[in-house]
Amino acid sequence: MIEPSLALYGDAFERVDGHLEELLGATGVRYCLLVDRKGFVLSHKEALWAPRPPALDSVATLVASNAAATAALANMLGERTFSEQIHQGEQGTLYVESVGDSALLTLIFDVSVPLGRVKVHTKKTIAQVAAILVELEAAPPVQFSDDFSSGANALLDDLFG
Amino acid sequence: MSTINFAAREINCKIVYYGPGMSGKTTNLRHVFSKVPGHLRGEMVSLATEDERTLFFDFLPLDLGTVQGFKTRFHLYTVPGQVFYNASRKLILRGVDGIVFVADSSPNRLRANAESMRNLRENLAEHGIDVREVPIVLQVNKRDIEGALPTDMIRAVIDPRRELILFEATAHNGGGVFETLKSVSKLVLDRLSQNK
Repeated sequence: MIEPSLALYGDAFERVDGHLEELLGATGVRYCLLVDRKGFVLSHKEALWAPRPPALDSVATLVASNAAATAALANMLGERTFSEQIHQGEQGTLYVESVGDSALLTLIFDVSVPLGRVKVHTKKTIAQVAAILVELEAAPPVQFSDDFSSGANALLDDLFG
Repeated sequence: MSTINFAAREINCKIVYYGPGMSGKTTNLRHVFSKVPGHLRGEMVSLATEDERTLFFDFLPLDLGTVQGFKTRFHLYTVPGQVFYNASRKLILRGVDGIVFVADSSPNRLRANAESMRNLRENLAEHGIDVREVPIVLQVNKRDIEGALPTDMIRAVIDPRRELILFEATAHNGGGVFETLKSVSKLVLDRLSQNK
């Protein structure tokens, strides 16, 4: 439809997960999310020591919307895009960088973590994840069995009456 | 097309409530938020002005449950209805899987309804999409206000070919809210099963 859709199959998902886990270890960030441009969380990792994260649905939606608004601003200013966003507060930092045209890598970390270190490691992870997402573009189209629709209708009846 | 995560067995769909300013889009979401059990919904996020007009969007995540082993999640959004927020409306339409067009029955809002539908067509076209390619349900809201326009009159300016499923609503007390949501959800999931 309007945006390229993503379908993460098992092997690809595990490889993405592995790269995020590596990034988490190498940088010392609290949370690391791969978010699609529609605002859905594709993969998420958090440090064992980190407190419970905020609502990830909300974080992903706001990150994706913010990226969309920033991209619109870039276009107005004659740029193809602004590929990264950094929001620094007193306690922590939110760092968002594009992974191709379909996803956003989002890192949330404490002020004690050097931004430069995060940037260096993130670049490497983005190259790895972007390559996986490119592979996925060639994946076969999604097929659901015939009774998916009846199952979905039963679910909606249960929920909405 | 919805986002499908095979590894996590998740299907994610985006539904946008569109329509003129003050037609009741946010009221729809607030009602859903207030009635759906807490374990099936997330936090409602509203990016609004100080006088509670939507500035960017409202957002409400809903977990519908599991269909054939896939956890099915809907993200509900509203757009800002005021005419001058069109840049925001365009952004929110990105990746949309289904639309609820919320029309206002007030006697002085007929033109606003028509202009908002035209704006929806234009914004979808800018994304390269024909309005007929996206599942759309029409909700004619505020049926209980004094002097409410006849539904047929409102439909004539929004959907003259009578192609859309229509629900009358009084969203402030929940009338028609879940019927509308169920209908658009069904269209979106049907479309998914047809692999369109």
